[in-house]
Amino acid sequence: MSNKTLLLTRTLIRNGEGFGIKGMKNKVSKVLFALMLMIILPGLVVMFSFFVNSAYSALTAIGQEGVVISWGIAIASTVIFLFGIFYIAASFYFSRDVEVLLYLPLKPRQIVGAKFLTAALFEYLITAAVFLPVVIIYGIRSAAGILFYIYSCVVFVFIPVVPLCLAAVLVMVLMRFTNASKQKDTFSIIAGTLALILGLGINLTVQKFIINMNPQELEALIMKGENTLALLTSGIFPTARWAVSALLDTVTTAGFLNLMLYAAVSAAVYILLLFLGEMVYLKGVVGLSETVSKRNKQNKTEARDKFLKKHSALRTYTMLELKLLFRTPIYFLNCVIVNFIWPVLLLIYMVMGTEGADIQGTVKQLMNNPDIAGTIFLFGIALFTFVAGFNGTVSTSISREGQELFIKKYIPVSYRTQILAKVLSGFILSIAGAVFTLIAATAVFKLPLYISMLILAAGWMGMLFISFVEILLDLYNPKLDWDSEQKAVKQNLNVVYSMIISSIVGGLTIYAALQFSPGFIAAVLSSILVYGVLNVLVYLLLRKKGVERFGRLEG
Amino acid sequence: MIELIGVSKTYGGTVKAVDNIDLTIPDGEIFGFLGPNGAGKTTTIKMITGILNADSGTIKVNGIDIKTGPIEAKRQIGFVPDSPNMFLRLKGIEYLRFMADVYDVSPKDRAQVIDDLVKNFGMEDVLNDRIQSYSHGMRQKIVLIGSLLHDPSVWILDEPMTGLDPRSSFFLKEMMRKRADSGKTVFFSTHVLDVAEKICDKVAIINKGRILFCGTLDEMRNSSKKDETLEKLFLELTENE
Repeated sequence: MSNKTLLLTRTLIRNGEGFGIKGMKNKVSKVLFALMLMIILPGLVVMFSFFVNSAYSALTAIGQEGVVISWGIAIASTVIFLFGIFYIAASFYFSRDVEVLLYLPLKPRQIVGAKFLTAALFEYLITAAVFLPVVIIYGIRSAAGILFYIYSCVVFVFIPVVPLCLAAVLVMVLMRFTNASKQKDTFSIIAGTLALILGLGINLTVQKFIINMNPQELEALIMKGENTLALLTSGIFPTARWAVSALLDTVTTAGFLNLMLYAAVSAAVYILLLFLGEMVYLKGVVGLSETVSKRNKQNKTEARDKFLKKHSALRTYTMLELKLLFRTPIYFLNCVIVNFIWPVLLLIYMVMGTEGADIQGTVKQLMNNPDIAGTIFLFGIALFTFVAGFNGTVSTSISREGQELFIKKYIPVSYRTQILAKVLSGFILSIAGAVFTLIAATAVFKLPLYISMLILAAGWMGMLFISFVEILLDLYNPKLDWDSEQKAVKQNLNVVYSMIISSIVGGLTIYAALQFSPGFIAAVLSSILVYGVLNVLVYLLLRKKGVERFGRLEG
Repeated sequence: MIELIGVSKTYGGTVKAVDNIDLTIPDGEIFGFLGPNGAGKTTTIKMITGILNADSGTIKVNGIDIKTGPIEAKRQIGFVPDSPNMFLRLKGIEYLRFMADVYDVSPKDRAQVIDDLVKNFGMEDVLNDRIQSYSHGMRQKIVLIGSLLHDPSVWILDEPMTGLDPRSSFFLKEMMRKRADSGKTVFFSTHVLDVAEKICDKVAIINKGRILFCGTLDEMRNSSKKDETLEKLFLELTENE
């Protein structure tokens, strides 16, 4: 490895790449990051350790306890590979330092090598979180000797190499032969959505495992599936097999040879990556900053016709908000997609969760009882308020303006219209999410159609109320000083506040439903009355104080 | 016409960015607003356009007070901010559509803009591309076009020449002259004194929030009794402060 590669690696790490802590300017993000490291990560590790421990017991019963090691390596490799794709794409291609590196007298393989090593550093955190519990639990319970731990250390060092190399190869080939590198937004949106779906999938699979964890079922699973996970890993990451064999057989020469083979092949894969980098990296990365334009002449008349049509300021402003929400990857993931993920997640948890296992049956039973229809109706309304409160659209709509807020101050559109357009764009997204949830709920719980329709007909009022409250929150506490869109929505406490408020409002609705068990008609009338009055009150407040506040905001 | 009477603005309670200024920008003239960095040019422009609220004083655009009739006053103005990096994720044509809708431009006037302004700035082939893909100069041009969609009687430009190619720069200067000659107000800030010297009918020099001079270039030369370039006069005026 050349000195320049190491020099560059050190510089990249010092520059804040790797963990990204240096990039965090404000204290809150640092504290949140530290909290995540100190609480969430250990929490996950502890949960995973319990899982490994009980799996070990179950597997010992059938003499297959070695499978936990395969699992450990398999999970670590898979997670590293998945994270690696995003990390490599961001670091190799989308990072701001890339253009600076290009004019320095560095060989492509030195850049690739240094960026790879920086990424690997981050991946060791994941490796430690997954692999160490497995090593410790297996080591203690099987009373393994010192060699096992030494071998484990060697394996630990090499675990991220092959998955990360594969991710890097995939990304480099993709960037070289497609124009993905020039479509940063599209790439981020697709990759982000896939990551959300994958994350959800992994989450649900683990849930299912933990819920269903008993020796008989596990045994059946292994016999039937012939250890699908381990097989899958050795299929995707063939070198992992040697690591497993080495760790399970530390006493014979075969084990040692397997370990050497694992290390040698991993190193060889890294060297191959450098060669590939030398060949394709530059061609993919050069011209990243070039402008992409299709110079689409065919649509010229169509665009002209559209331009000539006149629309109201409210409509055009709302459309602008929606366009920006859909086109900005961070906003799309946090404000748009989340509308559709949350409801699905909620439903799946309700149907699959241990406590919720009977919910489906209970609801069906309840629905047969006409007295309970009012309660179900109020539950529906509460669900609508949750959907509105859990997406960050309206609660960040002023913050998202950032340094561009001044534009909204000089255009001749009243602040009231502007506020309404912002509420409306979020409201449209919430309604779409709610309709989606309602369709799912109608299918899962076999809700009568008329109840679904009535929930929709009254539920929007709860949604509107939450949206009005959210914009007031953002008007009084906007986060306008940001340099990356991420900070406008992800590090914005207004999102958390609106979640809390919508939980309280939804919770109170549920409480009222359970406490008073109103009849259907009473539930419909009282919710229309209560939410109607609340909406009028908060709208009047917005018209007076909200508009004043908008006028005083100076970006 | 733009009138500023006793206008002040303080940032954070201590930094006085604009200090009790009086300024009248008449119709039918190109009016240059000059001053060193941090002199108060952008703050003044932001107050005229309604982006910032003045702490005290009155600002009127064509006789309409920006405080009491903000929407009507803003309708009189076409504004070109100093940075054209905005709405980057919209296509050029979408940006123009947004501006045309908020300024209430009729379909007939829109057609004229497409056939006239867009063509003159050489932007007809890129209107369907996202502004993100535009060069600095192209972004500047799309903002310029957006500011003229409603044929405003007051045109305010903050550092408009930055990044424009010679052809567009020439066209912009021509357009400023044409608008002033047709009786409209053209008010622009600049650092480029050569440009100001060539095209301005009147200039105002601001430094540390106060107007040091307001009048024609000849008046400025007469007052200093030296036949010097605007650059030298400017340096003398701002140095003595």
